[in-house]
Amino acid sequence: MDARHTVVVDLGYGDAGKGTVVDWLCANEPVFAVVRFNGGAQAAHNVVASDGRHHTFSQFGSGSFRPGVRTHLSRFMVVDPVLLAMEERHLAALGVPTWERLTVDERALLATPWHRAANRLRETRRGGERHGSCGVGVGEVMAFSLAHPDAPRVGDVRDPARLRRVFQLVREELSTELGGLGYDVPVEDVATAYEDFGRTVSIVDGAYGAELLAAGPCVFEGAQGVLLDEWRGWHPYTTWSTTTFDNAMTLLDEAGEQARRLGVVRAYTTRHGPGPMVTEDAHLTAALPDAYNTDGRWQGGFRVGHFDAVAHRYAVEVCGGVDALAVTHLDVAARTPGLRMCPGYETGERIALGEFGDLAYQEKLTAQLFTAAPVLDGHPSADAIAAALDAPVFLESWGPTAEDKRVRG
Amino acid sequence: MGSGRWSTDVYQAGERYRAATGGSAFAYSDSGARTVHPRLDPRQARLRESRDSVEHPRSTAIAVLFDVTGSMGHVPRTLQTKLPDLFELLVRKGYATDPQLMFGAIGDATCDRVPLQVGQFESDNRMDDDLGRIVLEGGGGGQRTESYELAMYFMARHTDIDCFRRRGRRGYLFIIGDEMAYPEVSPAEVSRVIGDRLPGPIRTESIVAELQQSYDVYYILPAGTNYAGDRQILGYWRRLLGQNVIELDDLDAVCETIALTVGLGERAISLDQGLGDLDEVGSGAGFVVGRALSRVVRL
Repeated sequence: MDARHTVVVDLGYGDAGKGTVVDWLCANEPVFAVVRFNGGAQAAHNVVASDGRHHTFSQFGSGSFRPGVRTHLSRFMVVDPVLLAMEERHLAALGVPTWERLTVDERALLATPWHRAANRLRETRRGGERHGSCGVGVGEVMAFSLAHPDAPRVGDVRDPARLRRVFQLVREELSTELGGLGYDVPVEDVATAYEDFGRTVSIVDGAYGAELLAAGPCVFEGAQGVLLDEWRGWHPYTTWSTTTFDNAMTLLDEAGEQARRLGVVRAYTTRHGPGPMVTEDAHLTAALPDAYNTDGRWQGGFRVGHFDAVAHRYAVEVCGGVDALAVTHLDVAARTPGLRMCPGYETGERIALGEFGDLAYQEKLTAQLFTAAPVLDGHPSADAIAAALDAPVFLESWGPTAEDKRVRG
Repeated sequence: MGSGRWSTDVYQAGERYRAATGGSAFAYSDSGARTVHPRLDPRQARLRESRDSVEHPRSTAIAVLFDVTGSMGHVPRTLQTKLPDLFELLVRKGYATDPQLMFGAIGDATCDRVPLQVGQFESDNRMDDDLGRIVLEGGGGGQRTESYELAMYFMARHTDIDCFRRRGRRGYLFIIGDEMAYPEVSPAEVSRVIGDRLPGPIRTESIVAELQQSYDVYYILPAGTNYAGDRQILGYWRRLLGQNVIELDDLDAVCETIALTVGLGERAISLDQGLGDLDEVGSGAGFVVGRALSRVVRL
């Protein structure tokens, strides 16, 4: 794997440990910047430094604890300046330089408090049929931008008149659609705060991406997981984001650069919130609580199951393959004898790919997976996972910090 | 629905950003950017305007363009820290009515990636933001020439200032540098950097003459730069600008020098009064500024 850049993608439902893998890469390789290429502030990538400092990275790159490592929010990100300021406050308190190492693409979509309010209102009204939203409005932003070509973007914060106009549009449209948002901060106040955001962060144009990739090796940090992908996940229990390597590859292609594709899996399968999870085991959920993933108010419960090789194999396939794997939580697997591999379901060892964009097919898969029964065999280890997914393991993780990681020869 | 907390988030975010803005000068350049920031891109600028308004009915346009190559890279950083002093003098001491400041940066169009950066005329601390977005090129070839003529072309043809247009009072343009201009404005460079089509090259003397119709143009050659005190370079600029060439022994005095030059140009003060004002505001630059400006003062 001699490619200059690395793309890190979660092959499960999120929460596999992308943050700690990105942190390790930034500590052990000469990384210039971490590039975010999907999702938004709903990312929650936990990194623990060897000195005990802990931060849940949301919009800043998970390499930020490492000296000099920058963060670039690409045009594929949904940027939330309000939550960014909250995250920055915590990072700054930990002594991490923030604004001076952050660049934001002017074309990235902007999340607003109205999107967030609409997201929460909609999810509340779904009652028992929740999609597992994180409640920060990323899906609302994506949906709004599809219906409105002039949806607010980061560059708009430099144009006061336009900013107010598009904010008014967001506020009115969402209020009308939902019959009020229960949220009434004036447009002017939000606009003012967003203009301050524009004065503080470095907003860059489309030419910057290539410059950044030329300046030094970059790590592309994915958010969520491939099994939650908007097109390839179990519709409708998906995230409104392309979680495969695709966006990163687009950015790399534009710059004429190449990358190794690193897929991250936990040694057991987890899922936050509702949706199919074939290997879920209530005993494991009770036995393996997660330090950082507790039941979210908007997202629902944190669920644990056996290593679902079938679903992860499907993830590798929809990604077009991976160059290597990073396997996390091997320490937990080693001390949990009840954990099993799931090499197949009773119906077969493979989930067949549909046509790209065929959400009716994805919905059919969802229905099938809700009733699928796992066949359990063997104990998850790095070797067993490499064999099941037919990819070499590059990195093993045996604990929360970078020092707990091992490179496999 | 917790809307109270959310709205608080908005205000707290705004505060957080405002708190940061003062401290993050040159965030753009320091973050590794090597292309012109969109806000400072001459191609996107078309026209930089200094306009009268209800709040600022008698605007005075003041542009400061500095060489950001080689040894001059620290000039904008010095300017940034001294900016409050400059405004203090201009506004509080009444040296100029309703001053509107614009910053820009000059590189070398023959070899630099960012040969020209131009901010907006601003009458509040937004000019600080423009400074923060300047890419500090840092390189520089040492060939004793930079693209000053390209910058002067932009100022002559792509700015519109009400002090001149409405009241016939010229604006002020300060160029801070330590090298010479190229002999001609190149149509190819103008096309690439600014986007205009020129039928042919323009002699630098001609563009200076055009520029001087609407601006008093000053060249400041600070000490501590490559060619400080260089007779050839000083002679070159004196042939172009006459007495408006200022040799400055201490770069830290650059803001005071600009303020007093404007005050003198507006006939708001005498040099002695200006130096007295510097003492009064606690500036230690009086001696340096006095020496630098003694040659400039019109008797």
